[in-house]
Amino acid sequence: MNNILTATGLNKAFDNLEVVKDVSLTIKKGEFVCLVGKSGSGKTTLLSLLSGLEQPTSGEVSINGTSITNSLENDLALFRRKAIGFVFQSFNLIPTLSAWENVALPLFPVKMEKEKRQERAMELLGQMEIDHRAEHRPSALSGGEKQRIAIARALVNYPEIIFADEPTGNLDSETGGAIMNILKHLHKNRGLSILMVSHDQELAASCDRIIHMKDGEVVS
Amino acid sequence: MNIQYLLKELYYRRRRTLTAVFSLAVGLAILITINALSMAYNEAARIPLKEIGADITVQRAGDVPENLTGPVFACSAVTIKNDEITQIQQLPGIDGFAQALLLWVFDEDRFTIMLGIEGENPVGPGTLRSEVIEGKFFEKGKNQALAEVSYARTYNIQTGDQITIAGKSYMVSGIVDASRATKIAAANIYLDINDAQKLAEESKQVQAVSPFRTKDANILFIKANPKQIDPLTHSIKNILGEKASVATPASFLKSLGSLFALSDKFSLATSIIALIVTILIVLKTMAGNLAERTNEIGVLKAVGWSNKNIVSQLTGESIIQCLMGWILGLILSFIAAWLLGFIQVNIPIPWEMSPTPHFLPGGGDPVFKTLQLPVTISWSLATFSIILSVVVGAAASALLSNHISKIKPSEVLRNE
Repeated sequence: MNNILTATGLNKAFDNLEVVKDVSLTIKKGEFVCLVGKSGSGKTTLLSLLSGLEQPTSGEVSINGTSITNSLENDLALFRRKAIGFVFQSFNLIPTLSAWENVALPLFPVKMEKEKRQERAMELLGQMEIDHRAEHRPSALSGGEKQRIAIARALVNYPEIIFADEPTGNLDSETGGAIMNILKHLHKNRGLSILMVSHDQELAASCDRIIHMKDGEVVS
Repeated sequence: MNIQYLLKELYYRRRRTLTAVFSLAVGLAILITINALSMAYNEAARIPLKEIGADITVQRAGDVPENLTGPVFACSAVTIKNDEITQIQQLPGIDGFAQALLLWVFDEDRFTIMLGIEGENPVGPGTLRSEVIEGKFFEKGKNQALAEVSYARTYNIQTGDQITIAGKSYMVSGIVDASRATKIAAANIYLDINDAQKLAEESKQVQAVSPFRTKDANILFIKANPKQIDPLTHSIKNILGEKASVATPASFLKSLGSLFALSDKFSLATSIIALIVTILIVLKTMAGNLAERTNEIGVLKAVGWSNKNIVSQLTGESIIQCLMGWILGLILSFIAAWLLGFIQVNIPIPWEMSPTPHFLPGGGDPVFKTLQLPVTISWSLATFSIILSVVVGAAASALLSNHISKIKPSEVLRNE
C-alpha cells in the first residue's frame, strides 16, 4: 500500500514555545488513523501542519507525493480544494447558506454550472441521509445534522484524504457514535484515508491505527 | 464571485446591510444635495440677467445733474462712448451684444423712465418683443413707442395714442408687460435707440453731466461664454475705467447672502466632509464585516478558496451595498431637491439697474426678483456619485484585502 501522507522531521514553534517537536509519520492510502493525546499535546497543530493549514518551522509534508511545505498560500488553497476534505469540531458551516449550498461551498470558486454543483451536493446529502433538509440553514439544524453536512462538504471535491478535528466533540454520545459510523463507512466502503484527532480513547479504538502525542511529540 | 452567496449574505445579514446602505445613502444624499443647492443658487443668480437675454450688463457711474428737467441720465449712469463700445464688442468671448440708453425724462406734466433699445436685437431689452400684450412692437424710424402696461394704465394711454416725451411726439404702437420679462432696466416707455440718442444729444442736462454723441449709449448688454465672464469683466473695467459698473451672475450671487451662494469653498468644504464621512462609514462597515466574518473567511480558506476568491467575493458584496446606497442616496437627493425647490429666493436688483428716482413713490424701495430656487440633480452629479460609490466600495475592499490575506485558518478555526 502506498503512502498518502508523509511527514518528516516536523517542528512548529510559536515564538519560543515548541508545540510540535520532530514528528515524522506516514499514513497509507485507505488508512484510518487516529491522533490522540491530552488537551495541549499539540495534536490539532500537527493536523494543521499535515493538512497545509499551517507551515512548519522545519520539516516537510507531502500528500500523495506532492510536497506542500513552503508552497505559496494560494497554491495551498488550490491543493486543499482538489485533494483534502476537512471536518471540524464546531462544524464551521456558513450561517447564511442553506445545507446544500454549504456542501457545495468548496465548488463555488470552480467554474461549474449551478445545477451540477447542486446535483453533486444533493447526492452527498442523500448519502448522509439528510437530503430532506437541503434548503434549511444551519440555525434550523441539530448538531448531528450540521456535522453530516460538514462531512458532505468534506467529500464534495472527491478528496484523497480527510482531516477530522474532534468531529464528535460537540455532539452527544449517541449522535457522536452515528457520525463515527459515517466516517468508518466512508473508510471501509470507499477506501478513504482519514486522519482524525480525538481525545476519546474509545472512539480511537475503532481506527486502524492510533498515534499518541504528548507534549508535542509522537510517543507511540 | 458567487452571486448566490453574495445575495444571501446581504439578505440574511440585513441589519449590517441596511446600516451600510443607509449610512452611505445619507452621506451621498448630503453630498449631492449640497452641490445641487450650490448649483441652484448659481443658476438663480443667472436668472435676472438671463431674462433679458444677457450674461453681463455694463454701466458707468457719473455725476448727478444740477437740474432735473427734461431728459437726464437715469441713476447718473453716464455716457459709454461709441469708440469704447466698439472696443468692448471686439473682446474675445462675446457671443452677443446690445446697447441701450436709459434716461429719466422730467416733463412738466409727468415723469417718465425711458429706455432706448435695439428692437431687432435678440440680446438685451429687444427680448421684450415677445411681451407685447396689445398692439405691436414699434417700427424703427417711424417715431413709435411702446408703453409699459402699468404706466399706460396710470396715464390712460391706448395703442394708437400720441404721447409727448421731452417735447417730441411718438405714436404708441403697443403695450408691453415688461414685468413678465425682467426687472432689469424696466422702463415706462421704450423707444428705438436712435430716437432716444437724439433726445439725449439734444438735452442740456445730459451734455452738462457727460458729453453725449449720437451713437453713444449708457447701458450695454453682453451675452458671453460663462467661462469668459470673469476675464471679460476685467477687460471691460480696463476700457471704461474705475467708474465702470459691471453686473454678472457672480455679483448677483454675492448679493444673495446665502452661505451656499457666498462661497464655492463652503460647498466644497461641506462636500469634502460628507465624502470623508461616507468613506469612513464604508471602511468601518467593511472592517466590521471582516471582524464578524473572520471565522467564515478561515473556513473559506480551509475548503480551498484563495485570497483572490475571498477578496473578490467581499468586494462584490461591498460594491452591491454601495450601489444600493447610491440608489437610495439618489432617491433621498431627489426628495430633498424637490423640497428645497419650494424655497423662494429674493434676488436684489441694484437700484441703478431698476431705476426709479427716490422722490417718486416706491423710488427708494428695494427691488427684488423673486423666484423658486431651481434645485435639480444634474446627470453629471448623479454620474459622479455612482462612480464615487463604486470606487469607494472597491477601494475599501482593496484596503482590507491585506487584512484578509493575513487571516490564518488554523488560528481562527482552532479557537472555536
